[in-house]
Amino acid sequence: MASDTLTYWDACRRGELLVQRCTACARRVHLPAPECPRCGGADLVYEPVSGHGAVHTFTVVHRSFVPEFRGREPYVLAWIDLPEGVRAFGQVVGCPPERVRIGMPVRVTFADDLPQWRPA
Amino acid sequence: MRDRAAVAGIGMTALTRSSGRTELELAVEASRAACADAGVEPGEVDAVLSYHLNDSAPVVQVAAALRIEPLGWHNDITGGGTQAASILGDAAMLVASGLARTVLVYRALNGRSGTRMNTVSTGPQERFTRPYGMAGPIPMFALAAQRYLHETGLTEEHLHAVVAQSRENAAANPRALRRDPLSLEDYLARPYVCSPLRTVDCCQETDGACALVVRDARLAPGAPRIHAVVRGGGPGCSSMDRSPDVTQIFSGHLAPLLWERSGMKPGDVDVALLYDAYSWLVPRQLEDFGLAARAELGEFLLRRRHAAVNPHGGLLSEGYVHGLNNVAQAVRELRGDRETALVTGFGGSYGSAAILTRGR
Ligand SMILES: [Zn+2]
Repeated sequence: MASDTLTYWDACRRGELLVQRCTACARRVHLPAPECPRCGGADLVYEPVSGHGAVHTFTVVHRSFVPEFRGREPYVLAWIDLPEGVRAFGQVVGCPPERVRIGMPVRVTFADDLPQWRPA
Repeated sequence: MRDRAAVAGIGMTALTRSSGRTELELAVEASRAACADAGVEPGEVDAVLSYHLNDSAPVVQVAAALRIEPLGWHNDITGGGTQAASILGDAAMLVASGLARTVLVYRALNGRSGTRMNTVSTGPQERFTRPYGMAGPIPMFALAAQRYLHETGLTEEHLHAVVAQSRENAAANPRALRRDPLSLEDYLARPYVCSPLRTVDCCQETDGACALVVRDARLAPGAPRIHAVVRGGGPGCSSMDRSPDVTQIFSGHLAPLLWERSGMKPGDVDVALLYDAYSWLVPRQLEDFGLAARAELGEFLLRRRHAAVNPHGGLLSEGYVHGLNNVAQAVRELRGDRETALVTGFGGSYGSAAILTRGR
């Protein structure tokens, strides 16, 4: 059950956000996983998503525990609800951290080959 | 195993930020104190249990240092706060099964001067979150806390009430690392680590050790009984990528089971030792265990109706011996005038809970 995350990261480098779909039960799966957490199906295919979302929750990091991020605070980490029915992770960029709110509509954007989120 | 085992002794080292001693030395000191408190010689101990994250002295070393020879059942259990209540269950199972009569339990760590908890791995999802600057438990539980405040309508004023009460409770506790009052103004002036959690919303990183002696209740008739212990968990803040409710913690999963197994109800609890590694875990557990309804949580906290939670100051103020110091406090309370204590162990949406009752 090796998970194919290469496809996901490759798409990120192209500026495309992919989400898995379970061919057995048709549910979307994200973060990338080797098996469908609902039905156990192992045939998961990657498909592009709209790139729209809304902030489910967030935190403004004022003190980072990742050494290479020290000195870059404050930055915003967030879980984003996608209309496709999954939750994605990323930073909220392109607005002051104090403007970020739960429920805020966001749109995917790419920075450092990673999907990030900016106000829609 | 209900009421078959009792906590006959408790022992602690001083809690500091820089012990200058090995985890082994700390474990041995706390263990000797617990044995003395129980009125047993270390040589009478026939089982030894501990939990740790490879940041402590293993049980065979502690047993050898205490000259527990021959050593019976012994185990190093992997885990942190999640084990704080259930290790009582592990000990009680050894007693109830007849494998042991006197079980030494300890947690020893240099959690401030040695291996700190703030970068410990939070799971396999880290390969998708760390590239964004996320590591360790604080941002993870801050994400859950933000959503929890949003859903309950609680604010920083309520988090302040939790921390301020903890400091007030710790004021009379000479072991506590933080004993000064904390006004709302002081609280709001403290820096955020990860919003909505300020430095003071997080527990005190601590060097120290805590130990318990669990015995067959027939050998310790007056000692607080291990009445019921539950352990488990499920979806929630430990799997925010796919959990419908990211604010869910262990207590939401375990509370119904605890009441069923204990044959008790929330109103029977007269002191609650809640795992308060973060301030928001107090209202979350009050709600889950049925000690306060969600709609009244705000008033409950502002009126300080949670004053009997963690009467020693808990992990927020006394110190952080990974929750075992809260178990020790449950024992002190039941040796005093309390009848029934709830004690909990938090590891995100997995954890443990126990009901201890006064000895007979
Ligand atoms: Zn499926």
